[in-house]
Amino acid sequence: MKTERCREWRPLLGAYALGDLSGEELTTLEAHLEGCPQCRAEAEQLGAVARLLPLADPDRFSQPAPRPAADLGQRVAGAISSEQRVQRRHRRRRFGFALGGAAAAAAAVLVLLILPGGGGGTPEQHVEFGSLPGGVKIYATLEPHAFGTEIQMYVKGVRSGTPCHVYLRGPRGKKVSAGTFIYRWGDDSTATLSAALDLSRTRAIGVRAGDRTFIAPVEGGEATATSNSNEEDVT
Amino acid sequence: MQSGALKRERDVREAYSAHSGELFGFALRSLGDSGLAEEAVQETFLRAWRAGDRFDPQIGSLRTWLFAILRNVVIDLGRARAARPRVAEGGVEPAVEPLEEALLSWQVEEAMRRIGEDHRRVLIETHYRGRPYAEVAAELGVPEGTIKSRVYYGLRALRVVLEEMGYED
Repeated sequence: MKTERCREWRPLLGAYALGDLSGEELTTLEAHLEGCPQCRAEAEQLGAVARLLPLADPDRFSQPAPRPAADLGQRVAGAISSEQRVQRRHRRRRFGFALGGAAAAAAAVLVLLILPGGGGGTPEQHVEFGSLPGGVKIYATLEPHAFGTEIQMYVKGVRSGTPCHVYLRGPRGKKVSAGTFIYRWGDDSTATLSAALDLSRTRAIGVRAGDRTFIAPVEGGEATATSNSNEEDVT
Repeated sequence: MQSGALKRERDVREAYSAHSGELFGFALRSLGDSGLAEEAVQETFLRAWRAGDRFDPQIGSLRTWLFAILRNVVIDLGRARAARPRVAEGGVEPAVEPLEEALLSWQVEEAMRRIGEDHRRVLIETHYRGRPYAEVAAELGVPEGTIKSRVYYGLRALRVVLEEMGYED
């Protein structure tokens, strides 16, 4: 418990910890510490701090703390973005290799056994959306399958948390839903979606992100006049 | 921040904004070169982002984790520098301060910057310059007892700041 004498002596504990007391002041304080465990404990704590002081150079700490160059934050962000691009390229390559191997063989079996003619030999399509607002980037890779079209969707720059609805447009302008995903800021992975429309019959791909819709043409599709029961309006 | 949340660019930006100054200060103190220190800070955030999944706030603070990464980066950069050929043969090599000591020195200097001006000044005058308390009191126009009291509260404030910075006895 703090006593009146503690209040009287405590302000001297700093000078005591630094070894700056002498004479009667020192003798009387030490007599108090002898009988006061609280003041003794504080004197020990301050002594531990005092022993650290020689580690510090007053010429250094009298100056403002050094700061890194103002553009270091941008360089850090640039280094991370650069590594993200490399990772994305690797992911795409891995995806391509997988299709070129066992998955492609399995797809071929599906084509032969379930839906002869599905995919129709249409090559993979890389679509880059143009005329986008500043900061927005949208890419898609469309792959033909027996079941329709697989879509690897990459979106960047819209508001985080925005639900995105992806669809394909068929020959007569009908929309076929490919599914939805939520865009999260900083997530650079691609969303994998699929639509029940052959790539050979796909004329465009659309993304409705919040209240905005972006559409890009898909080239190489063959024109056809026949209707397709797989097509349905997007709801 | 949730576990693994440092994978997101926004969290790296926030972490940079909160901790880059301190990290740079320690890197500069350890490496003695601002270009290398910036390189160390950049590498620290890059490694933190790569290992973002492994960050667990239940285990320790983000600041502690970043400093642990920076320590490794500084060691790596120090090794790389040591492996480079010496520029001047027969010249005096700069003294290399052991890393833990450099960290402690930097912490004490940083803590000194953060305590009140009045407290810092009396500690500089009495302890570092070795001036008598009475002389400092006369110069500042205050009683000698006030100088002793400021030394006491200055050391207490230093202890609090050092504890906030993760220092343990």
